[in-house]
Parts: sequence; C-alpha cells; structure tokens
Amino acid sequence: MGPLSRDVWAQRLGAFRASPSAFMAGPEAEDLGRDLLGDLRSEKLSEQTKVSLLALSLEYPAQLWPDASAAEVAATSLLDTLVLLPPRPSALRRPLLLAATTALAVGGALGPTSGASCRLLPLLLGLAAGSDLGRGFVPASEQRPLQATACECLRELESCKPGLLGGSLGLLRGLLGQEGPVQPLSLLLSLALRNTLVLQSRAGAGLGALLTARVSPTGGGPWDWTLVEEGDGRLQPQAPSWPVAEEGEGERSLTAREHSPEEARELRAAVAQLLDTSYLLTPVAQAQLLWLLGWALRGLQGQPPALFKPQLVRLLGTAQLTLLHAVLALKAAFGEALFTAQDETLLLRRLTLAAQHPALPLSTHLFYLHCLLSFPENCPLGPEGEEAAPLLLGPQLCRGLLPSLLHEPMALLARLHLLCLLCAEDEEEEEKGQLPSPGHYLEELLAGLWQRAALEGGPRALATLCFQGSYLVAHCLAGQPTVLTPLIHGLAQLYRARPMLAPHFVDLLDHVDPELREPLKVVLRQEVVSRPGRDEALCWHLQMLARVADGDAQSATLNFLRAAAAHCTSWDLQQGLLQVCRALLRAGVGGGLVDLLQVLARQLEDPDGRDHARLYYILLAHLAGPKLGVALGPSLAAPALASSLVAENQGFVAALMVQEAPALIRLSVGSHEVKGPLPVLQLLPEALEPIYSLELRFRVEGQLYAPLGAVRVPYLCPGRPARPLLLPLQPRRPAPTRLDVHALYTTSTGLTCHVHLPPLFVNFADLFLPFPQPPEGAGLGFFEELWDSCLPEGAESRVWCPLGPQGLEGLVSRHLEPFVVVAQPPTSYYVAIHLPPDSKLLLRLEAALADGVPVALRTDDWAVLPLVGDYLRGLAAAV
Amino acid sequence: MAQRAVWLISHEPGTPLRGTVRFSRRYPTVEKRARVFNRASYVPIPEDGPFLKALLFELRLLDDDKDFVESRDSCSRINKTSIYGLLVGGEELWPVVAFLKNDMIYACVPLVEQTLSPRPPLISVSGVSQGFELLYGIQDFLYSGQKNDNELNTKLSQLPDLLLQACPFGTVLDANLQNSLDNTNFASVTQPQKQPAWKPGTYKGKPQVSISITEKVKSMQYDKQGVADTWQVVGTVTCKCDLEGIMPNVTISLSLPTNGSPLQDILVHPCVTSLDSAILTSSSIDAMDDSAFSGPYKFPFTPPLESFNLCYYTSQVPVPPILGFYQMKEEEVQLRITINLKLHESVKNNFEFCEAHIPFFNRGPITHLEYKTSFGQLEVFREKSLLIWIIVD
Repeated sequence: MGPLSRDVWAQRLGAFRASPSAFMAGPEAEDLGRDLLGDLRSEKLSEQTKVSLLALSLEYPAQLWPDASAAEVAATSLLDTLVLLPPRPSALRRPLLLAATTALAVGGALGPTSGASCRLLPLLLGLAAGSDLGRGFVPASEQRPLQATACECLRELESCKPGLLGGSLGLLRGLLGQEGPVQPLSLLLSLALRNTLVLQSRAGAGLGALLTARVSPTGGGPWDWTLVEEGDGRLQPQAPSWPVAEEGEGERSLTAREHSPEEARELRAAVAQLLDTSYLLTPVAQAQLLWLLGWALRGLQGQPPALFKPQLVRLLGTAQLTLLHAVLALKAAFGEALFTAQDETLLLRRLTLAAQHPALPLSTHLFYLHCLLSFPENCPLGPEGEEAAPLLLGPQLCRGLLPSLLHEPMALLARLHLLCLLCAEDEEEEEKGQLPSPGHYLEELLAGLWQRAALEGGPRALATLCFQGSYLVAHCLAGQPTVLTPLIHGLAQLYRARPMLAPHFVDLLDHVDPELREPLKVVLRQEVVSRPGRDEALCWHLQMLARVADGDAQSATLNFLRAAAAHCTSWDLQQGLLQVCRALLRAGVGGGLVDLLQVLARQLEDPDGRDHARLYYILLAHLAGPKLGVALGPSLAAPALASSLVAENQGFVAALMVQEAPALIRLSVGSHEVKGPLPVLQLLPEALEPIYSLELRFRVEGQLYAPLGAVRVPYLCPGRPARPLLLPLQPRRPAPTRLDVHALYTTSTGLTCHVHLPPLFVNFADLFLPFPQPPEGAGLGFFEELWDSCLPEGAESRVWCPLGPQGLEGLVSRHLEPFVVVAQPPTSYYVAIHLPPDSKLLLRLEAALADGVPVALRTDDWAVLPLVGDYLRGLAAAV
Repeated sequence: MAQRAVWLISHEPGTPLRGTVRFSRRYPTVEKRARVFNRASYVPIPEDGPFLKALLFELRLLDDDKDFVESRDSCSRINKTSIYGLLVGGEELWPVVAFLKNDMIYACVPLVEQTLSPRPPLISVSGVSQGFELLYGIQDFLYSGQKNDNELNTKLSQLPDLLLQACPFGTVLDANLQNSLDNTNFASVTQPQKQPAWKPGTYKGKPQVSISITEKVKSMQYDKQGVADTWQVVGTVTCKCDLEGIMPNVTISLSLPTNGSPLQDILVHPCVTSLDSAILTSSSIDAMDDSAFSGPYKFPFTPPLESFNLCYYTSQVPVPPILGFYQMKEEEVQLRITINLKLHESVKNNFEFCEAHIPFFNRGPITHLEYKTSFGQLEVFREKSLLIWIIVD
C-alpha cells in the first residue's frame, strides 16, 4: 500500500484521538503502527504531517506497539529514519529522538541485548557531549537544541532504568564544567548522581571513581547495566514523599554506606557545582534539582546540608510555587540541620504571607494553606500525618488567614479549618490576648454562614458550604461545649427559617459524632413538632422527623402527626408521614401509634398509603420488639442505593416472607427399631447454626403410604446431640419408598427460612414388624399355621442367600432377630415377618452350607417376592 | 515531579456536554512509572470523554443544583485545595490538579512516586507544584495579549509543539512557554556558555530599562457606624530591560514618597539574586509602627529578555483614594440605583481615565435603561449586565 495522503492521516489521527480504545477495536487498528513508521519516510508527506504522526507515537506507543518486540522494531525503524534524513535542518530530528526513546522505554525493550538500545544510547550520549557524529548528521543550527534533547532523552531513560548512567557521571560533570547547556546537563547529572548514590550503596562501587572517570562517549559502553541490575530494575522515587520515605528501604540503604573522605569531598564538589549554577536554571528546573539533591544527600555523612543555605534566602523571597515547595521539601529532608527555629519562623512567615497575597491566584493560596497545616516542623507535637497548626504559627500570624464570608468556598473551608485548629489550642491554653478570641470569631462566622444559607431562594451551593462549615467545626471541636451549644442553636434557627434544607440536616446528622448528633436531634425534633403541622413545608418536616423521631417525646410527635395527617393529601406527603410512623415503630413506640395507624389505615386517600398503614399496624400488633426491628431494618439483600420504598419492601419480604435459604440442617436415618404397631423411622437432625421452631414436612412419592405428619423441634443447636425424632409410617402397600423432606425454621436473626432437604429412603426392611410372640413352646405350631395359610392365594419361592464370614447365626442375629419364631441354632431358623398393612412373609433358613443358605419362603402377597429376593441376596453385603 | 497527563477544557455552559477538550497530552513513560509506583492503587489515565465528564461533575459545572445530591452536596465532602479525586469507571483518579479561569479549565495529573493508599499528604508530592506551574504557564501563554477567539485558537494550535519543547517527557523544563517559542526562533544563534535557561537569546541594540508601577486599591465602604471600612493596596512593579550581554546586573531601588506607607508582603521574581532580610520580613501581619522598614527597597537582579513582574507588594495607605456611596432599590421589575463618588481630599485629580463599573449578577440582561449623570457618560453592556460610567476619558 502506498503512503496515505495528508488528509487521510489527519482523519485517521482525529479518529484515534477521539477515542483510542474505540479505534483500536476497529478494523484499522492493526495497520496503524506499521503505516505510521512507513509513512515517516515517505517523501510525499510534509514535515508538519510527519511531526503530528510522531506526536501520536509519543503519546500512545503502548497502543501502536504493544509488546517488547514490536517496540524494538519500531525504535529501530525510527532510528533508521533519523539516520536517513538529508543533512539539512529538519523539524523531525528532535521528535524522532523522543519517539525512539519513548518506544523503547514504554515497550520494555530497553536492555543490553536490544539492538535498538545499543544504537540509541551511544547516539544520545554522543549528541549530549556535542561530539562530532559524522559529517552532516547534525546541522550546526540544530546542534544546541539536539544536545538538550539528547540530555532529556537520557534523563528519561535513567528515570525508567535507574543506574543506567552510573558510569557516565564523570563525563557529565566534565561537560557541565565546559560549554554544555547548563539546565539539561544539571538535571541529568543530578538524577544520575542520586540514583547512583542509592544503588551503589548496594553494589559497593566506588563513587569517587565514578565521579572522576572520564569515559569516552564513543568508546564501548559507559552504560552501567550491572548497576541497573543491582537495583533489580526497581524504580527509584526521585523525590520521595515524606514521611513514608523515612521508613523506605531505599532510604535506609542510602544511609547505610559510608564514603571515604576523598569520595565525600568529590561528592560535595559535584553537588556544590550543581547548586552554584542552579541560578541559571528555570524556576521549575531549580525546584527539581533541589528535590533531587536534597533527598539524595539526606543523612549522608560528610555532606553538610549547609551547602543549600546560600540558595535559601534567594528562594524564600519568590512568589514561585515550585521554589517555595522545594524549600519545604528541603525542610522536610533536613529539619533542624538546615533550619534553625528562627529560620522555621521566617519560613512560616513567608508561607503565611504567600497564602493570602492578593497578587497570587486562589489555587496557589489554597496549596500554601495546605502546606501550612502539613508543615514539616522541627519538633512536631501532634500525631504524624494529621493536619495541625504549626506550633510557631501563633494567632498573630494567622490574623490574615481568618475566614470571611466573602471568600471562595474552598478558601473559606481551608481557613475555617485553620481557625478551628486555633480554637482547639485556644481552649487548651485559656489565653486571653488583646485580639478577639478565635472562638468569638468562629461564632460570628458561623452565624453569617447560617444567615446566608437561610436566605429564601439562595443557591444550593451556599447551603452546602454552610453545612460543610458546620460539619468541619463539629469535627474539629467535638469536645467543646462552648462551641457545640451555639452550633446546635444556630442550626435549629436555620431550620426554622428554611425547612427545605432538611436533606442537608439529615446528611449532617448522618455524619457528625454522637456528641453533636444526639442534642441536635432533640432540638430539631422540638423544632418540628412545635409547629401546627399544616404549613407549606410539611414534606420537609416529615422528612426531618423521620430522621430525628425516636422514643422520646412521643406524645408531642404523635400529636404533630395526627394534625399533619389531615393535610397529607398527596401521595408523597402520605409516604413522608408513613416514613415517620416507620421510624417510630423502629424506636419501639407503641400505644398512641396504634391508634394513629388505625386512623391512617382508614382515612388516607391513597390505597398504597392505606395498605402501608395497615401493614404497620399489623406489624405493631403482632410482632415483638426484636422481630419488628428486623422487619423494619435495612434489608441485607437490598443494595444500599435502592430507593427507600424498594428497600423497605425488601426489608418486609426478608422478615415476613419465608426465605429460600441454603440448608442449615442435615437429616439422617438412624438404626431400625421394632416397636409398636407401626413401622417407625428414626431421624437424626443436626444443625449447623442455632435454629428455632424447626418443622420438618414429609411427602411420600406415589400413594404407597398414608400422608405423613410433620415433626417439630423447638430448638436445635450445633454441636449438641439432639434427641432422635420418630416418624411413624403408615404403608398402604409393603413397599420401600423415597420421602421428600422440607424444613422450615427461624434463624437467630429472626428470618424464617425454607429448605428443601435431600430425600430420605425407606428401605424394605424398615417396614418389618414382628408377629405377636406365641406362648412358650407353641412357636412351631404357630409358624406352621402361618406357613400353610399362605397358599394357595400367596406365593412360594426358594432363594439362595449368600453368607458372609459371620455365618448363618451371625446373619440372623444381626438382621432377623426380632422376627425369629423357632430357632435351632446354629442350623435352622423359622422367621415370620408382618408386613404392614396386612401381609406376611415367612422364611425357613435351614441346612446352611459354607458360603450360603437356601431359604424357603412363603408370602400371601406375591408382589413382595422380588423385594424379598433382593433383600436376602443383599444381606451378606449389608453391614 | 513528572506529569502523567495535561488537559485544557473549555467550559461551555448550555451545551449538551457543557465542555470540550481543547487540548490533551499524555506521557506514557511517566504512566509506566506510575503503574509501578502506585502498585495496587494504580488508576490509569482515562480517555478524554470520561475525564471531561468526571471533572465537570467534580467542579460542580455539570448540573443545576435544584436537588440535594449526596455525592456532591454532602457535608463531609470537603475540598480545601484545587486538587481533586475524580471518580472514573468506579475508581478514583487522584491527584488531579485543576482550576477554572476565563471559562477554561486547566488540569493535569502529577505522578506520585509511591502507593496511593493511604494517600500521601499533598505537600510531599513534588509533582503538584510542578503541575500548577505548568498550568499557570499555559494560562499565561494563552491569555497574554490575547484579544479574541481567533488568537486563542492560534495559540492553542501552537501548544503541542511548545509542550514538546517545554515538557517533552512530562517533566516540566520551563513553565514560561513564551521562552520555548522564542527558543525556536533563536535556535540558529550559537549560544555562548553559561546562558541561563530562562533567557533564550541576547539583546543587541540601545540599552534601556523601563519600569512601571501599577497599584490596585480594593476597598469596601459600609457608610455605617461601628463597621470599619477596609481597603487594600496591591502593587506590581513591571520591568523590561533591553541590555546587551548574557548576564547584565541591574539593581532597582524603590523609595517611598514623603510620609509614604511602607511596602509590605513583598514577593519577588526568581531572577532577583539577593534580598535584604528587612524586605523578607516586612509583612502586613505585623502591627504598624514607626520601626517598620521604610526603604529604600533594593532589588539586584539579572533580567530575562521579556517584560516581567519584578515584585508584588501590598501597602497600608491611610485613606482610600475614592469614597463611594451606592444605593439600590428594587421596585417590582425595576432597579433604582444611586451612585455618588467623591475624591479623597488628599488625592489630586489628575487621572488619565476614570471609570465606574456597575455589574449586575444573577439578574439576566438589562432590557431598559434611563439615566442621569452629573458628569461624563454611561455605557451599557446589555448582554453582560454591566454599566460603565466613564467619568474621565
């Protein structure tokens, strides 16, 4: 395919940028990376278009070349394109270098075995050193910018592979001392130095040698892949965040290694060289340099932080955010070693000044305010990581940082926070100065906030701000009655003035600590119930009351509701009313509520409302307290965000309907016992959790047995053996069957559950009953009489019954003992079995051989013959 | 210290999306580091569409605020800085540095070189101030001398190339984008050694230094017993130094007029080489007394090529220069306004121009106007709901 035209590319790039993921899912995705590399060499496309192609590859290399091999191919192609450029100035050289670097770094292809890496690195270092790379490769006019770009590329590679340039420190120092561009080289050197300091403490390489060695950039390999490997390819934070950095492994190992005096001197010289020329860097670059060097030298022996001192005075005067921030980083890194108490005061002063300077933008003010509250103090008192007013930041300094209603919301909240912290301190110290106390100021500000939020028709943002402020005060000054009392009073007044803020109040009550919540609830409830119950804001009052109503002041609440009921004409008002009733139900209010609910169930216009009222009434009348709580409590099954109605309904469903649940009980059949006139199944229940009111229901398949009654157990507890349950069976025909079992029970949380248990099997032998025992000595006659009565209607058969090792005696005693009528052990047994309802089975077991016994049998019910056969044949195997 | 991505978004109230991404730039090498550093707490940079939506919601620019929405209006959602956490695809992208200025939202996401849970304090994240500085730089570039939308569009179209210079890999090299623009123009000049990075070339020609001082007075006058009027003076000293040589040294010394109020809260340009400690500590926080440092205020510096603000200061002048009286009465759909202005007797009436701007917020456009002025004329900007009383022209 030939090169695409400029317009096609513009369209394609536009489509890609609009949504890279959508484009990559489309049909053109696969070719994009390849087309892009190919068309960079096309002579038909303008440089401008090619720059835009390269810009795309700078931003989305991972999409264009998703794996290491593709990235390697791409970087090789980009380098080829660079080499093939005609020897005249071109806008493509810089972006090509950047793109090749990006592709290798992002694709993960950078390494000693990558061909593209081995081409790119010497090229970059050569360019950075300003050496001659062959005639016409770099036009004279581009030399300077390319040198800077090469430094930037190297810096990025060093960032992604810390330690890579460990072997080039000496070279870079040399270049910085000569004619090299100051900023790119300074930044590159300081980063490489920092990474080397971290890594060589593990590798043990001599720093002094690294700092002084001059490796020729064209000679083979100043790349320190060994150092990179020492670092396990781990990234090094260039500016570690404190206080985490203090515990970081990297930092500990940084301090672990001591340098020889020569090394220390060499290092100090290198740092001094960097700091001395830092003035030539742009402010942002100066800040980067200070972060890097500050954290690199922190804790190193023989590296006095005083090296930084000459820079500080100059930096403290500026309005530049990055520079002041870098000073704070130095403060955090060195603390008292670099900043005396006086310096700390001065820094705080400058910070306070900058946090309110009218020439600076709001976002800068806010950041400085944050810095003040997180200030890295020399001697911090409070817990780490919590915002606090620095000790040296007295009320005098803070005077300009007090909040006012005219401030932007964020500024107001930030300053209010500071004020709250001051109030907290003030309370502790009980200091009476000439200035108005912070507490007094706070009171006035809050009054202003409430007043503004109370304005009819005011924007919601003002109300939100007011509640955020109130929350902040409550949060910071929770233990101070002198603040909380007016706060509660003010909020109550605000509610009186503007009940439509009820959702904000509910939200506030949900978030504040009980110290404020409980008294505020009382006051707000009074505020609501003292009203006639028929004003326009009724819906807000009901919403509020649903949150604050509880067991206290029942009669006032109920009076209000009774009065309000007459005015609840619309569906939503009725629902609001019912919500309050629900809250009262939950709080365990009885008496008067029953009457009210009865009235509501009759009077409400809306059928849904009447139904709900009736339901609540029934619940109240029938359920005891704990169960009611569960019934009305939030449903576990319902997601938290579902509407209240849905949640409520699901709550009922959960509590009042029977739940299908996983089985919490196991049921097994116990040993066969022959007692009474009916066959009885012995059941052994076992619970996995405590369960109550267990009811087991059984169903027989077909009509073989009469319907079975349920079995009830009041309480089952896991681990405690339960009494066996006896299930009498009433067969209509003597046949084995399967019982379907259902269980109903209540859990300890009050839910009623239903479980379909695995079926139980009633075996043929479970139905065996003995005949009444004949008188002593009359057994044989009794048996013969039964034997003869079977024919001619019945059936006769002979079955071979295999014997196990226990022999005939063992078999009979184990399985047939209760039914033996005549016994001549160990050779002959006559067995008579009554099969309910009214069949008989007679067996003669005689003349046993070693491995079996022939059984002569008669029965009056021919249908049982196959069952008997199976039974007898299975006896030997049965345990 | 690096940025993971930068955006410029124009805020367009009334349109369906309420905003358009005008420019965005991602830095994949930084993103790769973010993934490693942030570990399990890593949240990738979203595409422009979802980012726009999430940012506008967080900045409260998306919806009207008729109803209480907990995720926006809850009392516990307190934001005290211009740094936000954006909910994108169920995860929270943090920290997003963002601010709105002249209907343009400037945003970037600095790299945090550690895990994000628990969140490190912002003060310890070096990329935050770097991000702010980059965004301020872009803002200065877009709006310095910009007159209309066409110019803005031209400047926006220059941004990709300029950021390739000023921030090629996400680490800001120079927040002054004008320098980057000039750098390309000066590129052919072979630069001598020790050229400051903030000075893209050298000046050739007649040496001259121009200085201008601008003071703004902000005053609130209550005309009420027991409530004190307030006023504040903010001064800016702007310099343009056309001087030959790489590093010419200049010292500007400011002196107060007789009985002039001392300068306070002095913030200087980073090119100022040293400062008297009296200048560093002179602050409006302190109570005024005679011992306050009253100059001369010396600023030794090496100037950049362009015009720059050498320093800002505040001052506590004893009286406001103009005293005003303003009264507004609402009569059904009409507003009746009375404005009286009076020059303070100590201030001389030698204005180049004097205007009174009377804006009307939240009231819609002005439909009808009747007026009487004692002096000068009145101009109406109906759409902007603004009246301008031109007193001296």
